[in-house]
Parts: sequence; C-alpha cells; structure tokens
Amino acid sequence: MRKLLTILGLALFFIVGVESVKAIGASYSNLTLPRVIYRGGNDNPRPQALRSLLAQISRRTSIEVNREPVALNISDPELFHYPFITMAGDAGFDPFPEDDLKILRNYLSYGGFLFIDDNSARADSAFSASVRKMVSALFPQNPLGKISRDHSIFRSFYLLNTVSGRSIVKPYLEGISIKGRTVLVVSSNDQGGAWSRNKLGHWNYDVMAGGYRQRQLAIRLGVNIIMYALTLDYKKDMVHLPIILERLRRYNPR
Amino acid sequence: MNGLAKLLGVDPEEYNHWQLHWLPDDPVVVLTVLAIVIPLALWFFWTSLNRVGSRSRKLLLFALRLGAFTLLLLVLLKPELEFRKSQSLKNSIAVLLDNSKSLSIKTKIDESSRIDLIKKALEANATYFKNLEKDFNVDYYFFSDDIEKVAVGAVKNVYRPYRPYTDLTQVFDALVERYPGQSLQGIFLFSDGADLTQESGEISRNLVERLKELGSPVHTLQAGSNAGFKDLAVEAVAASDFGFVQQPLRVSLTVFASSMGNRNIPLVLKEGNHFLVSKIIEVREDTKRFEVELEFTPQNAGKRIYTLSLPKFAGEFIHTNNEKEFEINVVRDRIRVLHLNGRPSWDSRYLREVLAHNPKVDLLSFFILRSLGDDVEAPISELSLIPFPSNLLFDDYLSSFDLIIFQNFKYDPFIDKKYLGNIRKYIKNGGAFLMIGGELSFQGGGYSRTPIEEILPVSFRDNPRPLVDKVFYPVLKKEFSRHPILRLEKDLELNQDAWRSLPPLQGINMGLVPDENAHVLIGYAREKESAIPILVTGNFGSGRTALLATDSVWNWNFRNVGSGGSGRYFQRFWNNVIDWLIAEPETRRLQLESDKERYREGEQALIKFKLLQKNYQPAVDMTVQLTLTPIKTESAMETELKTDEQGEGIFPFLPDGEGFYTARIQTDLEGDSLTEEIMFSVLKDTAEFEKPLVNETLLKKISEITGGRHHLLNGSDDLSAYRIANPDVQVKSHSRSFSLWDNWWAYSLVMGFLVMDWYLRRKSGLS
Repeated sequence: MRKLLTILGLALFFIVGVESVKAIGASYSNLTLPRVIYRGGNDNPRPQALRSLLAQISRRTSIEVNREPVALNISDPELFHYPFITMAGDAGFDPFPEDDLKILRNYLSYGGFLFIDDNSARADSAFSASVRKMVSALFPQNPLGKISRDHSIFRSFYLLNTVSGRSIVKPYLEGISIKGRTVLVVSSNDQGGAWSRNKLGHWNYDVMAGGYRQRQLAIRLGVNIIMYALTLDYKKDMVHLPIILERLRRYNPR
Repeated sequence: MNGLAKLLGVDPEEYNHWQLHWLPDDPVVVLTVLAIVIPLALWFFWTSLNRVGSRSRKLLLFALRLGAFTLLLLVLLKPELEFRKSQSLKNSIAVLLDNSKSLSIKTKIDESSRIDLIKKALEANATYFKNLEKDFNVDYYFFSDDIEKVAVGAVKNVYRPYRPYTDLTQVFDALVERYPGQSLQGIFLFSDGADLTQESGEISRNLVERLKELGSPVHTLQAGSNAGFKDLAVEAVAASDFGFVQQPLRVSLTVFASSMGNRNIPLVLKEGNHFLVSKIIEVREDTKRFEVELEFTPQNAGKRIYTLSLPKFAGEFIHTNNEKEFEINVVRDRIRVLHLNGRPSWDSRYLREVLAHNPKVDLLSFFILRSLGDDVEAPISELSLIPFPSNLLFDDYLSSFDLIIFQNFKYDPFIDKKYLGNIRKYIKNGGAFLMIGGELSFQGGGYSRTPIEEILPVSFRDNPRPLVDKVFYPVLKKEFSRHPILRLEKDLELNQDAWRSLPPLQGINMGLVPDENAHVLIGYAREKESAIPILVTGNFGSGRTALLATDSVWNWNFRNVGSGGSGRYFQRFWNNVIDWLIAEPETRRLQLESDKERYREGEQALIKFKLLQKNYQPAVDMTVQLTLTPIKTESAMETELKTDEQGEGIFPFLPDGEGFYTARIQTDLEGDSLTEEIMFSVLKDTAEFEKPLVNETLLKKISEITGGRHHLLNGSDDLSAYRIANPDVQVKSHSRSFSLWDNWWAYSLVMGFLVMDWYLRRKSGLS
C-alpha cells in the first residue's frame, strides 16, 4: 500500500511539476466569467459567487483567471470576447427579446457556453420556469435533457458521480448539446450559494442538509464545468480512459 | 415451280429452290383462337341453314362460307413464297498456332523450344495441309488471348512467341463469331495449353460452352511436356494497392517449384536495396506450389516498389520469374498530431476543436491542468489527472508523430531536457514542429539556448516582458501572398479580402529575431520600427518548423462569429498550417508528377513539374535536372529542362521496355537544393512465365469434349491419320419473297365469297 502511495505521489509530482508559473501577467488571456444581465427578476442573487469560484479555480488548477466581475447584456458587442457566460437568478424574469435570442443562439451554436444557476433553492421555481421558456425559445427542436453521469463534465478535473450545490433540489444537471458539444448547462441546486465567500474568507450561505463535503463537491462541480468548457471531451481521449475507469471503479465519493 | 415463278414475274433460271413460309407473329395464339372460333362459327352457320329447303343450296351456302373462312385463315397465317438460290459451300479448317511467350520455353537445355516443335510439325506435315486445301478452306491463325489470321506462306517467317497472355475462352469465342453455321469442320490447336485463366487440372464452364457452341472437333497438338522441367517462380502475388505508413501490410504469394528436389529456399522482400523481410520456403519434390504470407511495415509515404526474390539455380529454364515486383501506394492513414497545452485556454480549446474534428488528424493532446502550487483539496484518487508519459512520447513513440505542437507549454518539469534533443533529431529527420505563443512559450517556457531554439526559425532575445498585451492587426508580407499557409481563398484578391475581414489579435510574444533563412509570413508593423514577427516558418534538416507569436488566434473563430463572420477561415488557416508543416505534396516548392501511374509497353509518359520560389511565386526560366532511371538497370537518362512563365514544365518520355521507372528532378534555387522523386510503371508482359507449365489436362479435355484427338508433338509427327469430315453444306446466296396474303387478290376473293353468300341467303329467304 505504501509503495502504491509512493508511486501515486511520484506520479502526482510529475503531473504538478515543481514550479509555479503563474503571475507573469497578461490578463487579456485569463479566464473571465461574465454574468448576463437581464430584465425582470434578480440577475445577481449571489454577488460573490463567481469571484469565489474563480478564486477556487485559480487555487486548484493551472487556469489563470480574472477575478474582476464582468456583467453584460446579451446584445453587448463584447459578448463574443467571452466564450463562457453565466446566468443566475432566484425569480422569474422577462422573456428575452427575439434579437437577443438570435444572438444567444449564434453564441452557443458557434462555440460559446452558458451556465445557468437557479439560486432559489426551490423545485419548479419562477426562475426555472423562465429559464425553460427561454431555452425552449432558443432551441425549440432541442429540449433540455438530463446530463448523464458519464459526461465529461463529471471527469474533466475531479471524478464526480453526484451533483451537489447549496440545496440539492435536483440530483442532476440538465443541458443542451449541439453536434456532440454541450453548450448550455442548468443547475437547480444553487451552486452560487455554495461557492460564495466573503472577503474575509467566510462562507456566505450555509449548505442545506449537508456540510463541508457537500460544499466541496459543489465547488468541484463548478471547477469541472469550467474545465469542460475549456477542454471539451479531452478526458474521453483514449489515453485517459484506462486510468480514469480504474479510479472510478475503486472510488465512489458521496 | 417454273409456272408459279413466271406467274409472279420471276426468272426460273435465277433460283434453284422455293419455299413457303408461314409468318404469324404469335402462331400459338392465332392458331388456338382460330381452332376455337372457326368450328364454332361453322356449326352456328350450319344450324342457321335449317330453314333452307334445298340440300344443294344448303351445301353451296355452307361451301361459300367455308371458303371465306379458309381464305381468312390464310390471310391470318401470312403465307410468303420464297424463291432461293442455294449453293454448296467449301468447308473450312482452322489451324491455331499459339504465339504466347510461354512457347519460347524449352523443357530441357538440349531440347527444342515448344514453338520449334510446332514449326517442325507444320513443316513435316506441309503436304497433309496442302492436300486439305483441295477440299477445304484451310485458315491459319496465331492466337494468345485473341486470334490473328495469317497467310499460310507467312507462317514460317512471322511465327514467334511474343504475346503476353493466353486465354482460350476468348480464342474460341472469336472463332464462333468468325464461322457462323456449319462450315468449320475441324480445328488443329497447336499449343502448350498454358492458359492463365484456367485453374490447374480443370476446364472452365465458359470454355466448355464455347467449345460446344463451336460444334467442331478440336485436335490438340501439345507442344512440350512437364517431364524434367526445372523452375522456381514467384507466382500470384496478392497485395493491397495501397497501404498506410507505420501500419503492417500483408502480402500473399505462391511459390512454384518444379524439379527442385527437397531443399530450403529463402524468399526475400526488398524495397530497392533495403531488406525488409525474408522467409524460408521448405520446398519438397512432391509439391509444386507453396502458399506464403509475408508481413512488413512501410515507413515512408508515396508510391513504393517492392521486390520479391528467390535465388536463381543452375539448370532453371526461366530466371525472370524468380523475381517479381509489385507497387503499393503508401499513404498516411491519418496525420498523427501530438498537442501539448501548458494550461487550458480559449486559444487551445478552439485549436483542439479544429484538430479533433479534422478527419485526417489522429490527435493525442495533453493539457497541464494543475501546477505544483495548486491545491486541489482532494486525494489523487478523486482526480481525473493522469501522469504525463514523457518518456513514451519523446523517446519510444516520437517518430510515430507527424507533427508536434507546443501551445503555451513550458517543458520543465514535464519533459526532461534531454528529450528536447530527441525533438531536434526528430525534426532533422523530417518531423514537424509548431510552437504557439503565450506566456509559457519561447523565453517564458525556458526554451532559450535549448534545442528548441535551435530548430525554430528565430532566436530568442532576453526580454523582461516576453508577452505584451497589445491589440493589433496582423500584416501579411506581400512576397508571401502565394504561400500555402496564407491561402484562405484560392483567388489572390479574395484572399486579401478574407484576411482583411478577420478581427484583430491580442498579445504578442516579443524578443523573437528571425533567422536568416526564416520566412516571416505575418508580422506586426509598428511605426519607425521593423516588423515584429508573428507567423514565421522555417526548415531544419529535412523537417519543417513554424511559430505563432500570439495566443489569440481564436479571435478569428469565435470573435469573428460575433462580428457577423464565421470560423471558416480559422479552420482553413490551421489546416493550411498543418498541411505545410507535414509537407503535403501541394505545399512543396518542387512538384513532380506523371500523367499516369501505369503505362503500356510502347506508350509515351508525360512527366510534369513545377518549381516555386521560397515565397511560392513561380520560378521562371529556371533549369532543372530530370533523371529517368529504370529500376532494374540503373542506366539513367538525364536531361536539362527549363521552367516556363508559370514555373512549370513538361517532358514526354518513351520508356524503354517494361518495368518500374524512377523520375527524379533536382535543382538549386535560392540556396536550397530541391529534389523530388516519383515512380511509375510500364506494364509487364511476363505473366506467361508465372505459370510456365504445359497444361496437358486442359488440352486433353478440349479434345475429349469436342470429339477431337490429342497428340504430344515429338519433332517427327505424322498427322496424316487425321480425317476431317466434309459434308455438303448448302448456303443461300440470294432470294426473293412474295407475300401471298397482303394483296388485292386475297381480299377480293374473301369479299367475293361473302357477297355471293349474302346474295344466296337473300334469295333463300334468309336475313
């Protein structure tokens, strides 16, 4: 066992390297997570969520991030500068104008990614109803579907076999895929609530029913979603499969 | 007949036969209908005459109606009278002389060749054939896979074994066409029976059908025998027309051995002088054919010519069949790309998407997802990360990649520095390398004064800020406007427009100084400063390298969509980069091709070439050296040629005989020595020697099926015992036909009978 741990340790050593290469600068290429501004409802119910998630990404992965909050409308000419956008809420919102839907449809069809987080912690919330209406207007022929557990989102960085959040309303993610690429992911479990931290480092919201582990899994899911958007199905390449499947066989985190 | 002929205005002296033809379109239907309708009608008519008191009138009326029906019947059966002139035909005899190459074989050194045996037999029986000519038309034919008529007097002078294939089915097919009817009463077939289309010991169904259709006895005169025939041959090589680089290829063949005794014989497969694989064949006296399978792995793409060879033994009658060449077009199955990413980014994500979706590319990519300073807050068993297999990639399997891409990738600590030397060696030997910018590339990746700096077409200047945040529009260098990497559109003007339509880039890796031979295709020009290189290409050894000094090319994809454009040019740009790096033929400065891959013997080959300058502009009025070499002989033909205003040229070449040829073109241009080589083949006609045995069984079966006789020629043959039936066969020379129904006489008679019938019925009180 000790030998195995030593080997794994050495392997990890080679994975992570011996030198941090961060902080050279060039913020233009760093990952930014803009928040979508929309009419009606509340488009920023967890103001610290994205900054907190970016901090975790910076701490845990090699991705360089811009932590400064960015908010934009769908019609913003800079929308296509950011291939990953987020949309959060806890109340119903006004339907998107047709022009915005067209832009968003183009955005998602040609390489963009949208993460939608329902922060209401309620099943069948007004936000959820608005989201479904919007998604159905976006892709009438391609309805939201459950994302299966063998999707790359559950193995893009961490090995996950559960969907967590501040409040686990639905134990799964929903999404839409176009030509094999998932372009839109919806969580009903208030991911932002589990990620949010204040400037002193304290968690802004308690997780419901779970504890530290539930919050950690929610953060891991956030990291994985970002990692999936940046690497797509990289973890399904043949070179990764034997090791990942072996670990999944042995490990069943709850 | 004479009276009838005179009645019809025909000269009776002109014809000696007449015949009546009945020509209904469908006799069965017509006769069936008439057989039912006429008796019924007559019966009905007879019963209708009950009211006629006079028996004689009744019979007369019935006779009139019967006459009308009879005439109607004749009209329906369309009788025709034919006057014919026939005459007796002189029957024919065909003498078939095999002139395929196998007839040149001698069974033993001191024996006559097969063709000599035939010639002797013809000479010895010249009187017999002369006598036959009194009663028959004796036609002489040379045959192989077709028949060629030859005058009897010319046989002696022009009969030689030179035709490449024997196919008796086609031969008899041609005879059937040439002798329709019964005039062909006998065939003398002089041959060794070595028909390549027939299986050993069997006769094909098609051939049997042709023989039966012919209906004449075929007397087979066998030239040569297999007793004591010593030969070793490579027969029936079966290999795919194309194969893939680095993928095993299987070749199946048959080795033929006759009178070789019991011994082990090595079979060798070579490419040029390069030995590939060998196998020992355990030859045994009681077996003639040995099935062999060989497997080898082609290393290089292109048309490759391989040679299978067996040793040549003393006493063998044919040495040419101990070797056999075959051609395989070796292609890349897919372009193997190793793509290393220093960290996940949008630039790497969109490039990966292009590579992963390119059906030509077999992609192996690695992303460094975490660095040492990162705290993943999970045990390794809960991570999907795998160890980076640097020794496998950069030692064991490095040569299997067609292209290596380092994208914003710092080699330390993932790759040992010694492996950078392996990469240099790989490029020098023809590999391809691309470095894409970012803060972990070039100086930022610690590549200064490493083999990577050596292979890239730039040198690194120490720079405290190697990557600067700068939005800029790249400037294409005019002199490289025809460079294949920059061709987003075929038309030069459209291409300029395409580049102008792309959004700006952001971020430049600074401190890169192009080497003397580097090609800066794209730069960023600042006022009062020399252009900063953005896209630079170069050569290192036999390989190609390129660098892109920015990490924002993804702007040409996603951001361009936001500006109303598409990702089309982004994809085309990367595909161009890949094609150029792996030196796809269309990206080479010297291009060479032949108008065909295979030529027939005596056919002219056209060798075409194109020469481009370093910037891919046509190299006009330049001299190139073209060398054409038959592979077997090494006797090269050299010529100097000039390029035209398009940088192109063409050279017509008449190959000197069959075999494989190498065309090699060479020139020195702008300090580079450019060479290209292609291969083409001129069809070999030595198939006859692949199966050189006499096929006695086939000849015997042909005689048996047709009722002919079989005879083994021995040099003193007497054919006078062969008797040919000579029946009297009449054939029509000319004829004249008269229709007996399609005239006014016939119709008037019918009408006359019916009118009289009507009149008498009226007179008899009938309606």
